[in-house]
Amino acid sequence: MTRSGQNRLRSFTLHALLAPLAVVWLFPLWMMAVFSTMPDHGIFSSDVVLWFGTSFTDNVRNLQADTDFMRALTVSVFVGVVYTVLSVMLTSMAGWALARYRFLGKTAVLGIILGTITLPYFVVVIPQFVMVARDFKLANTWFALIVPPLFNSLGVLFMRQSFSMMPPDLFDAARVEGVKEWRIFLYVALPLARPTIAALSIILFLHSWNNYLWPLLISSDRSMFTAPVALGSLVGLTKVSWGGIMAGAVLLTGPMLVVFLLLQRHFIAGISAGAVK
Amino acid sequence: MADLTLKSVVKRYGTFEIVHGVSLGIEDGEFVVFVGPSGCGKSTLLRMIAGLEDISGGEISIGGRVVNDVEPADRGIAMVFQSYALYPHMTVEQNLSFGLRMNGNPKEDTDRRVKRAAQILRIDQLMERRPKQLSGGQRQRVAIGRAIVREPQVFLFDEPLSNLDAELRVQMRVEIARLHKELGVTMVYVTHDQTEAMTLADKIVVLRDGNVEQIGRPLDLYDDPENTFVAGFVGSPKMNFLAGRVVGADGKTATIELVNQHEAQLKLGLSDAPTPGEEVTVGVRPEHFVDAGKGACDITVDIDVAEHLGSTSYVYAGTGSREPLIIEREESRHGDERRLTVGIPAKRAFVFAGDGRRLR
Amino acid sequence: MRHNRTAYAFLAPYLLIFLAFWVWPIINSFIISLHMTRVNPWRFAPGANWSRLFTDPAFFNALKNTLIILVIQVPVMIALATIMAVFLNSPLLKAKGLFRFAFFAPVVVGEVAYSAVFRLMFNYDFGVINKLIAGVGLPVVDWYSNPTAAMALIIMAVTWRWAGYNAIIILAGLQSIPEDVYEAATLDRVSKVRQFFYITLPLLKPVIAFCLVLSIIGTMQLFAEPFLITNRGGPGQATETLGLFLYRQGFGSGNFGYASAVAYAIAALAVVISLIQLRLARDPQ
Repeated sequence: MTRSGQNRLRSFTLHALLAPLAVVWLFPLWMMAVFSTMPDHGIFSSDVVLWFGTSFTDNVRNLQADTDFMRALTVSVFVGVVYTVLSVMLTSMAGWALARYRFLGKTAVLGIILGTITLPYFVVVIPQFVMVARDFKLANTWFALIVPPLFNSLGVLFMRQSFSMMPPDLFDAARVEGVKEWRIFLYVALPLARPTIAALSIILFLHSWNNYLWPLLISSDRSMFTAPVALGSLVGLTKVSWGGIMAGAVLLTGPMLVVFLLLQRHFIAGISAGAVK
Repeated sequence: MADLTLKSVVKRYGTFEIVHGVSLGIEDGEFVVFVGPSGCGKSTLLRMIAGLEDISGGEISIGGRVVNDVEPADRGIAMVFQSYALYPHMTVEQNLSFGLRMNGNPKEDTDRRVKRAAQILRIDQLMERRPKQLSGGQRQRVAIGRAIVREPQVFLFDEPLSNLDAELRVQMRVEIARLHKELGVTMVYVTHDQTEAMTLADKIVVLRDGNVEQIGRPLDLYDDPENTFVAGFVGSPKMNFLAGRVVGADGKTATIELVNQHEAQLKLGLSDAPTPGEEVTVGVRPEHFVDAGKGACDITVDIDVAEHLGSTSYVYAGTGSREPLIIEREESRHGDERRLTVGIPAKRAFVFAGDGRRLR
Repeated sequence: MRHNRTAYAFLAPYLLIFLAFWVWPIINSFIISLHMTRVNPWRFAPGANWSRLFTDPAFFNALKNTLIILVIQVPVMIALATIMAVFLNSPLLKAKGLFRFAFFAPVVVGEVAYSAVFRLMFNYDFGVINKLIAGVGLPVVDWYSNPTAAMALIIMAVTWRWAGYNAIIILAGLQSIPEDVYEAATLDRVSKVRQFFYITLPLLKPVIAFCLVLSIIGTMQLFAEPFLITNRGGPGQATETLGLFLYRQGFGSGNFGYASAVAYAIAALAVVISLIQLRLARDPQ
């Protein structure tokens, strides 16, 4: 067979294998969208419906009635934004310190932070809960939703790597010019780290947006539910609109999927950078 | 007063000492070049003067004031880096004014200084461009401009021309010399290129392995080197070193046998009496050989390669052997010869002891 | 450079949060595990929780379930991820963006949303899956009442969720292998298939090892899926993972001490399994 013939055969097999896999992979998301537009009796009928219906708005209304989802979405957005901003600030400052300064205890700090990646979240979550809910009595507060998850070690390592790769002469030049350290950080280092910060922000926001366990534990008050918690609270109930739940799922994932479509590059950069150390 | 004094300056990393007690004085307005091979400590020394490295021992004073513990910004210095270190996300104008702006300098004064620097360096047309839109030479000038804007007492240059191509390097060398003349500020310049040192410096400090080998004016180093290292470092092409054995010495003259040159004997004036039989090195620069018979002794060599550059030729002999020789001759008169006989003038031959020290 | 104070100033905010909400809780967790916490006030009883751990059938059930998932799901998912990555890396592929989106999208979808969808899809009477199965003529499966089926469901869900994530990482690893290695092999007339097994895979080992460790740690903590899809570990405790067990003990019964001990056990197990796995991967082949 000719070279191009071989290639064509290979291309055919490739697509023949991959396309069904992709379809299978997209199927749940597709169904999610479909379900969200079907009335409950449609979802629970014996027909196989694979195309959209028209009941999306009805479902949203049901959802809203079942659990104040709009409020939950607002909570999620607020928490997500504040969390991302704070986390970027903290991790970039910490990454900067670890990248560009020699100081006492640096190896110790670095070691501990590296160590945190290997330890499972579960070991931390219980005492965190005990501390925040019982000892500090801060359950159902904004503080509790935003602050404890801020200890993101991957962010620190990510920013540290980014800052280490900048030419040191740049900062020396600024020092010689008499620019104070925090100004060097703000006006020279951060602007240059923009792409990294962009990737990191996306990952952080996603993490906060989808975070389930911690908000579940710490907010018992409905008005402080984040969107995933609100949605999750409906799943076990019997008298609930599943169309509404699906609409909620779409509202929950839709924005992130759109962001993902637009910013695929940054997402992938973020995830693979953490891995290829 | 912007003189600069180093007293027994030492630099240690942990227990590893890389600069061993360097002392030197630089006067106001002088152009001093630190020169030496890679790793000799010249950049470290410069960074210690700048305040970017801690001083492990000794004292550095600028303008009479000890600055060991003074922040770089307060030492009255400005530095030009090898990599230019321009802020990539700022325009030329912003690059020049950054330091002043960050320190709350009044806008008029900042503008005045920036304009002045731009004029001196002829970059006023480039003010709105970003570094990546500039050529190497232009970037270099912006880096120098950033230093001028600070109106410092001492200018520090860290191998500024290393990243430029040969032609540009010559151009920029002239620019820097011109700058020095115009501004009259003390300048300390680090390079590994002896041509830059010879052409720019009022005074050269030759460094090797963290020690000062010699300090002096360029021509002093050329005519009167202290040891084989300085002799071999200064001057291009490099000085030829011939192995010799002392045959006779009487306190005023000495006769030295050139071991590898068919036992040619060289007699020259030498008051540091070496002992007969002692092994010495005789140094002769390629450009100092004279026609056969016109010097204190003659040597004959087999030509390996002859390079003809138009007004001069370089003859290479003994390449690959223990004693390679380069001989510089006028013009290219001599076509296809295989052997060459040249004379060594007594006055231009340097004698070095076994340890490299110069015998006078 | 002496800059101790500035460095600390930059580091401080993060470090404070880190110490307060991570380091201290870890230490505190161990302390709590040494207390009897079934009743208030808590009593110091070092052996109580830890000894119970070793004899608690519920714990071992959860452990068993988690290990089953681990042993089946992780290798399958990694293999799948590798295949995805290899195919995505192929220059012959058209509409790469679409395929990428298809496989990577699950990463972006939250646990709750996708768990809800899966729960609907696998519903016995009205779920799409059963309808499709019936349509092909196969017997319908009772996903939620049949323990094995429930386990299979969880495995499928988790695989769906994480294969793409691992594929991204493996793809990055693939792309860091220089082209000339393959070119040299092709010149030597080594077939593409052999190239894959003798060049690609060995070079991918560290990346795959990394993914394996990540997956192990993740699976050991599996919580949301069994919680939401199979209704808190149903049927009965057939899909109760260690994560769910911990949740039940800690936040269901309020027995924080025991839950802490379980958490430490999970951590220890994760470390041990990862080490074993890394050791095996290092065997000269």
